[in-house]
Amino acid sequence: MKNPFGAIPVADTEALPPAEMALAPTSIEETAQALRIATDHRMKVLVWGGGNHQGYGHRTYPDVVLTTTSLDRIQVWEPEDLTLVAEAGVPIAKVEQMLGEHRQTTLLPVHGETATIGGALATGLSGYQRFRYGPSRDRVLETTAITGDGRTVRAGGRVVKNVTGYDIPRLMVGSMGRLGLIGAVCLKLVPTPSTAVTVTVDDPAAAQAALYRPLAILSTPTEHRAFLWGTPAEVESQAASVGTDLINGLAWPAPPSGLMTWSLRVPPSCLQEAIDRLPPSWDYVAQHGVGLVECGTPDLDLQSALKLREWSESQGGAMVLAGGPETLYEQMDPWGTPPNGLDYQRRLVAEFDPYGVLNPGRLPGGI
Amino acid sequence: MTAALTEKKPGLRDELISLLGTDQVMESALERHLYAKDSGVYTGNPTLVVMIHNAEEVAAVVKAARRHDVPVVARGAGTGLSAGAVPEVGGVVLVTTRMNSIEHIDAENRTAWVGPGVINLDLSNVTIPYGLHFAPDPSSQSACTVGGNIACNSGGPHCLSEGSTVNHVLALEVVTDEGAIVTVGGPAPDPIGLDLRGILVGSEGTLGIVTRALVKLTPNAPDVRTLAVAFPTIEDAAATVSGIIAAGLIPAALEMMDQLMMQVIENWLHAGLPIHAGALLLAEVTGVTEAVDAEAQIISRIAEEHNALSVQVAVSSEERAVLWKSRKSAFGAVAQAAPDYYLHDTVVPRTSLVEAMRQVYEIGKRYEITMMNVFHAGDGNLHPLMAFDASVPGELDKVKAAADELVQICVEQGGVLSGEHGIGIEKRHLMPLLFSDVDLDAQARVKEVFDAEGVFNPGKILPEGSRCFDFGRPVPEGVWV
Repeated sequence: MKNPFGAIPVADTEALPPAEMALAPTSIEETAQALRIATDHRMKVLVWGGGNHQGYGHRTYPDVVLTTTSLDRIQVWEPEDLTLVAEAGVPIAKVEQMLGEHRQTTLLPVHGETATIGGALATGLSGYQRFRYGPSRDRVLETTAITGDGRTVRAGGRVVKNVTGYDIPRLMVGSMGRLGLIGAVCLKLVPTPSTAVTVTVDDPAAAQAALYRPLAILSTPTEHRAFLWGTPAEVESQAASVGTDLINGLAWPAPPSGLMTWSLRVPPSCLQEAIDRLPPSWDYVAQHGVGLVECGTPDLDLQSALKLREWSESQGGAMVLAGGPETLYEQMDPWGTPPNGLDYQRRLVAEFDPYGVLNPGRLPGGI
Repeated sequence: MTAALTEKKPGLRDELISLLGTDQVMESALERHLYAKDSGVYTGNPTLVVMIHNAEEVAAVVKAARRHDVPVVARGAGTGLSAGAVPEVGGVVLVTTRMNSIEHIDAENRTAWVGPGVINLDLSNVTIPYGLHFAPDPSSQSACTVGGNIACNSGGPHCLSEGSTVNHVLALEVVTDEGAIVTVGGPAPDPIGLDLRGILVGSEGTLGIVTRALVKLTPNAPDVRTLAVAFPTIEDAAATVSGIIAAGLIPAALEMMDQLMMQVIENWLHAGLPIHAGALLLAEVTGVTEAVDAEAQIISRIAEEHNALSVQVAVSSEERAVLWKSRKSAFGAVAQAAPDYYLHDTVVPRTSLVEAMRQVYEIGKRYEITMMNVFHAGDGNLHPLMAFDASVPGELDKVKAAADELVQICVEQGGVLSGEHGIGIEKRHLMPLLFSDVDLDAQARVKEVFDAEGVFNPGKILPEGSRCFDFGRPVPEGVWV
C-alpha cells in the first residue's frame, strides 16, 4: 500500500505491534496532520506510548500504529508555580528524575523506564500516593488533545484552580485515547517533603486508624507497609505510633506480574474482603483506604477472576483486565459490565472521533 | 429556544400544578421576582418557579418543560455570582433547596450521599462526630448548597490543599434532558469508561440536573495553626506566598487581604486587624502537632525575610474563629463603603500575583472605582471587589467594563476567566480570550451531547455561535452535516 502520510516520520517498528504502517510524529501539528489523513482514508490508528498499559481495554487491530515517543518535550516547567507542561511521550521516569532534583513530583506511577505521561493518563492510572493526594485526574490542569479527525482542542488552563468551561481535561483522563490523543498536558505538581519513611506494620486497619493522612498503606502477600512523608519530627512521631521496622525513603513494592494482571476496584471498606477472596497463589498489591488491588496470576485461572468480577460489581466496583494473552480478550470482556450512561459515552466519542479512527472500540461497551 | 419567554405558559403551569400541587409552584410577580437573580448583578425573568423534593419530580418537570419548549434553570441557594442560575430567557426555575437530606454517612468509606439542597456547612457540621468534613468551603458556606458547589465546582480557602469540589465528588445521580434518572461514577476508585461525573461537575446546570451526590469526606486535622501576618505592602505579602510555595509547603489555606478591605472589616467586626498595614496574609497549616509547629515556623521565617511587620499565631479554636470570621464575612462588611458591590473571580499563575495586583489597582484608579481585595493568594485566585452605587446612572456599566479589563489582564498573565464562580452569563463573552474557535466548538459539542435541544440553562458558559461546523477543510466524503 502507498504511504498516504507523506513527510510524517516513520517509526521503528521493532517494539510495536503489527500494522501496515508505524508513524512517529514529532510535533502536535504533525500528529494532527497524521490523524486528518487517517480520517480521510478511514484508517484505524492505535496510539502507543511506552507500551506498558496496552493490556487495558478491548483490542484494536490497527492499520496504523502511532507512537508518541517523538512527542518528548517538556514544554514548560515553572518550579515556583508547581506546574509542568509536558508532551505525551515524555517518560514518567525521566520527568520524575528531573523534578526529584528540585523536590517536586507529578505523583504519576513510575512503571519502568518507558511508561509515558500520556499513556498513564489515557489509561487513568495513579500512583500509590493517591490515598493522600487523590487520583491523577485531580492534577490534570490543561490538555491539548488531537481528536480523531485531527482537530487540536485545548481545554483547561495553566493555573491550579479553574472553572472556565467544561472540564474536558478530566474527561480525557482514562478515555483510552477515544476522545483524542493527549498531545500535551499541564500537571499540578506536589512538593516532596524532606523526610520520607516506609514502616512495616502488623495491622493495616489499625495503622490506618492511627495515622493522619499517610501517603499510602499497602498490603502484599508477604507484608503490610505504611508510607509517610513530611517534616522530620512529624514523620518520626507518626512512624513510631505504628511500628518500629523502618526503611528510609519510600520502598514501594514491585507491581504484581503474572500470566494475567488485573485491577480490582472496590469501595475502600471492602478491601480486606477483596484480599481474602483472592486465590492464594495470586500476587497482589492492595491499597488500603483506596480500594484498589493490583493482581498478578501464576496461571490462566479465568474462573476465579470472573467470580471476583461478579462480587466486585455487586459492591459497586469492577474487575478490569490489565494484561494477558490475546486469546483472553476473545473469551471475555476485559472491562466487565459496562457503566451507566453508555449512550452519552458513545455520543461524546462520536463528537471527538466521528469516523472511529482513534483506538476504536477500546472503551467499555466496545465504544 | 432563544426567544424570550416572558409570558407565562398556561399549559405548562397547569401541568406542573397537577404534577406537584399548588404549594410547590410559584407564579406571582413577587415570587418570580425573588428568583429572578442570584447574588451577582444580572437579572432574568422566571416563567414559573418550582420547589422540588426528589429526582422523580425533577424528571417530571424536565419532561413537561421540554414538551412545552420551555427551558429549565436549576437553582440552589442563589449565592452564585456569575448569573449561572439566572433565567435569562425565562424558563422554569427549579429550586433544589428542599432536597436537603443527608442520606447515608459512611464513616468507613468516608463518604456521604447527599441531596443537592444540603447546605455546605451543615454537611461538615453533621459529620463532626465522625471526625470528618466536606472540604470545599466557599465563603458563602453557611448558605450555599452542595448542588450549587457541584454546578460551579466551587473552591474556598481550603481548596489550596484539598482541591475544588470536583475532587470531592465520587458519584452523581442526574436527571437527563430526556427526563431519565441516571447515576454515574461510584463508590469504588476509577469507575470504568469516560468520567461523566467529572464533566458534570462545573457544568453550571447546562448538562443535567443533579439530584443526589456521593461526596468524599475528609478527616479533620488533629491540630491547626493559623498565622496572621501583617506586611507593609501587597508586594511583600505576595512574595511571601511565592516563597512558601517555593519552599515546598502547601498550607491548608493562604489568604490575603489589602488595607482597604481590612479597614471595612475592622469597622464592623472589631477583630483587631492590623489596619495600618498594607496587607494581611492568613496562612493555615493543618496536621499532627509536630507538623503544624514546624510549618508555622517556616512560614514565620519566610514572612520575616519579606519585611513582615507582625506575626500572630492563633492556636486556640476561638482565636482562629475570629480570624476566619473576618475573612469569610468580608463581603458583608462592604456595605459600609457603598450600597452595591461586584465581586470578581479570576486566576493567574501564583508567580504573577504581584504584577496582576499592580494592574488591578491601576484599573481601579483609571475607572475611579473603589477596589478592595481579599483573595486566595496561594492559588493565584484573585477576587477584586468593586464597591459602587447601582442607582447612579452609568455606574454599573463602568464596573462591568472594568471587570472585563480585569479578566483581560489576568489572561495576559497566563491566567483564566474564573477560579470558582463559574462563567454563567457574566463571562461567556470573554471565553474567546482564552479559547480558539476549535476549542469552543469542542465544548459546544459536549453541551450538545447532553442537551441537544437546549432545555438546561440555555445560553450559559459558551458564547453564541460556539458550535462551528467547518474549519476550512473540505468535508470528507460520506459525511452529512
